[in-house]
Amino acid sequence: MEFTLLFAAFFGVAGLWLMLRWEAARGNAADCAADLWEIAITAAVVGVFIGRLAAMIGDGVNPITNPADILIVRAGVATGWASAAALVTVAWLGRKELWPAMDGLAPAALAALGGWHAGCLARATCLGTTTDLPWGVAQSPGGPGRHPVEIYAAVLFLVVAIAVALWKARGRPAAGLPAAIALIAAGGIRLTTEPFRPSLGGGPVWWYLAAIAIGAIGGVVAVRLRRRRPSDSQP
Amino acid sequence: MRRIPVLVASLALVTAACSAGTVDVSGIPELEATSPDAVQSLLDTTTLPTVVNVWASWCIPCRSEAPLLDRAAAEFADRVRFIGINVRDSQSGAREFIAEFFPDAAIEHLFDRNGVVPPSLGGSGAVPLTFFYAPGGELVRLHSGVLDERTLALEIDEILSRASS
Repeated sequence: MEFTLLFAAFFGVAGLWLMLRWEAARGNAADCAADLWEIAITAAVVGVFIGRLAAMIGDGVNPITNPADILIVRAGVATGWASAAALVTVAWLGRKELWPAMDGLAPAALAALGGWHAGCLARATCLGTTTDLPWGVAQSPGGPGRHPVEIYAAVLFLVVAIAVALWKARGRPAAGLPAAIALIAAGGIRLTTEPFRPSLGGGPVWWYLAAIAIGAIGGVVAVRLRRRRPSDSQP
Repeated sequence: MRRIPVLVASLALVTAACSAGTVDVSGIPELEATSPDAVQSLLDTTTLPTVVNVWASWCIPCRSEAPLLDRAAAEFADRVRFIGINVRDSQSGAREFIAEFFPDAAIEHLFDRNGVVPPSLGGSGAVPLTFFYAPGGELVRLHSGVLDERTLALEIDEILSRASS
């Protein structure tokens, strides 16, 4: 039972790996020499660790006096802190070629999030709030139909991941713009699906809004920089 | 020279870990001893959806999920009944655990020294275990292992929807 979380993590890592392979095969990450796979995995591990520490502290559990609890990831990871820590880790490890590294990872990170959400199938945690819609699924025999909210999120993440990858290959976007769009998409997808998730206290909505705002600012900066230096983005 | 701050920080961490004092249990009453029949009767007669969490002070995963249960008990205090069954434990250990993790939670804790109640409800001898009941004692879901927030919120929503239908 406890290992179902590992299955979900496997789905996430599989999404990351497949998208990186697909992008590499299409020559999409050719302008980045950094090992994106290593950066992504390191960022994920750091993100989960920091997110778990933040969740423990937020719940009033002292990580120093209860160090073994850090390993019980299932009890909670603070999504916002985990995402922030993962982003900082990517920025640090890819600092020598920051924008190519960020852009190289953007579709893969979205695919990883899609895989993670699809991992609900292994954990039996796909369902959300009740609905009368015909595709609603009952949580238990005789129970009301429920939105398969994590499947909605998984499909949205995978569609956006593929769209960003295709756009990168065909559109030659400004450096940093795919990463900014990916951040906006990640925050937006979580924000729009959040009302379909039962939660204690409403979910980390402010973090999603912050991701959208940071992505929007990053996107504007990327476009302006490209206008100033148009030669940078020529093939 | 650069190692000195690291050593000082490490020493501070170790000192903090070792100096964690014992928890004050003076405000926590002794837990009421229970039996399979008493718990079944409680479930049969309750008019609220009920969450029964089986825990022990020596169970590390129980500590991890305790803050979630505390938050849920506060959020659904008027609509859901929360019962904690402490198993294979001592009164002092249980009271310290409650003082540390559930000091103000609206959870009724019962004491099952030999751990005979969970198997009588259909569970195993493992902890943690969480049973979700519709009003009247119908078992809707048995969750083995650590709860996560989504699962807890979803199962509470499920027993609440059973109560309103």
